[in-house]
Amino acid sequence: MILLLLLSLLALIGIGVPVAYALGVSVLLYVALSDTQLLLMLPLRLLAGFDSYALMSLPLFILMGQVMNSAQITSRLIDFSMLIAGRFKSGLGLVNVLASMLFGGISGSSASDTASIGSVLIPEMERRGYRKEVAAGITVASSTMGMVIPPSIPMVLYAVVAQQSVGKLFLGGVFPGIIVGLFQMALVRMLAHGGSERRNITLAAALRLTARSVPVLLMPVIVVGAVVFGIATATESAALGVLYAVLAGFALTRALTPGSFWQCLRSTALTSSKIMIVIALSQAYIWILALERVPEAIAAFVVDLGLGATGTLLIVNLIVLAAGTVIDVSPAILLLTPVFAPALESLGVSPILFGVLLVSGLAVGACTPPVGTCLNVCAAIADLDIGKIFRGAAPFLGANAATLVVVTLLPEIALWLPERLIP
Amino acid sequence: MSLRAFERRLTAVLEAVLAAGLLGMFLVVVLLVLLRYAFQSGLVGANETATVVFVYLSSLGAAVAVGRQEHIRVDLLSDRLGRRGRIALEACNLGMVAILNAVLAVSSVAWIDATGQTLMPVTQMPRYLLQASVPLGCGLATLYCAIKLVALLRKELAP
Repeated sequence: MILLLLLSLLALIGIGVPVAYALGVSVLLYVALSDTQLLLMLPLRLLAGFDSYALMSLPLFILMGQVMNSAQITSRLIDFSMLIAGRFKSGLGLVNVLASMLFGGISGSSASDTASIGSVLIPEMERRGYRKEVAAGITVASSTMGMVIPPSIPMVLYAVVAQQSVGKLFLGGVFPGIIVGLFQMALVRMLAHGGSERRNITLAAALRLTARSVPVLLMPVIVVGAVVFGIATATESAALGVLYAVLAGFALTRALTPGSFWQCLRSTALTSSKIMIVIALSQAYIWILALERVPEAIAAFVVDLGLGATGTLLIVNLIVLAAGTVIDVSPAILLLTPVFAPALESLGVSPILFGVLLVSGLAVGACTPPVGTCLNVCAAIADLDIGKIFRGAAPFLGANAATLVVVTLLPEIALWLPERLIP
Repeated sequence: MSLRAFERRLTAVLEAVLAAGLLGMFLVVVLLVLLRYAFQSGLVGANETATVVFVYLSSLGAAVAVGRQEHIRVDLLSDRLGRRGRIALEACNLGMVAILNAVLAVSSVAWIDATGQTLMPVTQMPRYLLQASVPLGCGLATLYCAIKLVALLRKELAP
């Protein structure tokens, strides 16, 4: 029966049934063939998936990113990044990576990072002599930091599924995210040959530019700080982030209008519902996996392999990278967490470390064909084939793979900050 | 009114409800934080009410996303098929989504009948107010699938 559950899911996803409903139809098939009494439990499982105060932070974090995008804060981040990295060799490539690091601390989403930064920097980089696929590739690869650097929507999702602290996961992503950025900058210096921003800037102008960026740069400090220091729950801090973004959009950049805010609300409600229905129906799927005792079986199998915590984590990293190429981030988190978390916990791996590695690995998947969301967004912006963009991004995604290995071998990189700041 | 116009209107109304619901949920959460820090007080049942709104947002939004065909999916096979093959596959997929939602909507009736009268812990509202989101969302999703199927078959049968 368990084989039927797994194969039917793969087949349904393969023929293009939406992932959420593929999960639901697989469960329905299982119930129809095993015990129709379980049918009465399905609506309960569905509601249990929706009915969560902690998950209310998801639409609010998405709304925060959408409002910040509508408020056109990207130009301020790019100007600030230009000030810091623009004049070095391959300066615009470095600016692209740095802007993504900063944007990642604001939007929590890689796709919006790709859209906002790519639409400004890809044409500019092309004008300064970068090959288009390299410019697009750097944009896509650097957008992966949006999921790792806090606040991060996938981290919230993992926190809810694995019942872990959102604050600890946010902090766990800080150093790995920065390391990805530094590795990518080094690769840009080595591999991407193109122009820089050689404009001479006076100290007064630099200070003015910095002052202009401070309100935007403060946002992650407020949002993440509120969760980490127990001032607000994740849901409340997301709502405060939205409030801050709305005030910044109306008063600071003056780019937000009531109409565009309403549009943000509409599109956020739809985006979050698409994730929520995957969560709800995956709860039913996971419930069946638990009935069939699959997580326990996998845990026992992994322990019997005798690879130890590090060896197993390295293999899990490979599985996560492979899964990320064919399945979107949210369903992948929902399916892989209950399967691997118990096994890794029995080997003594911290659930925070696993969460950071899982999200970091799946972020790479968002940049690989055929289902990479960021790749598709970038293809639309750059008017370039996804294959070419992927070829441009691949060397820079090496930085992500290297970070996964480094964090697996040195877990303190992810665990030191949460252990210090949250007892 | 044509089927297409009906679908457009239904979607517009539902999207307005979703946006208003999200705005309400956001305002309630912000208000709770402000009340807590500025006045050391709160609103009894506000969190529970916001959660109910969130549940409805999720179930109605999922139905609208069926209508807009915006759910997360992998389009590997359909890209390789011809026109007729694509239509057949799409009809098959819509049929499966419709059956699942219809089964969930119907089976939720017995569940609500059995457990709906219990009260929620803080607001003391009967749980059927929350549970009704399941048949409502699934029913709407089934309706959207039916509309899409009819439109697809009309397209297929058109000369």
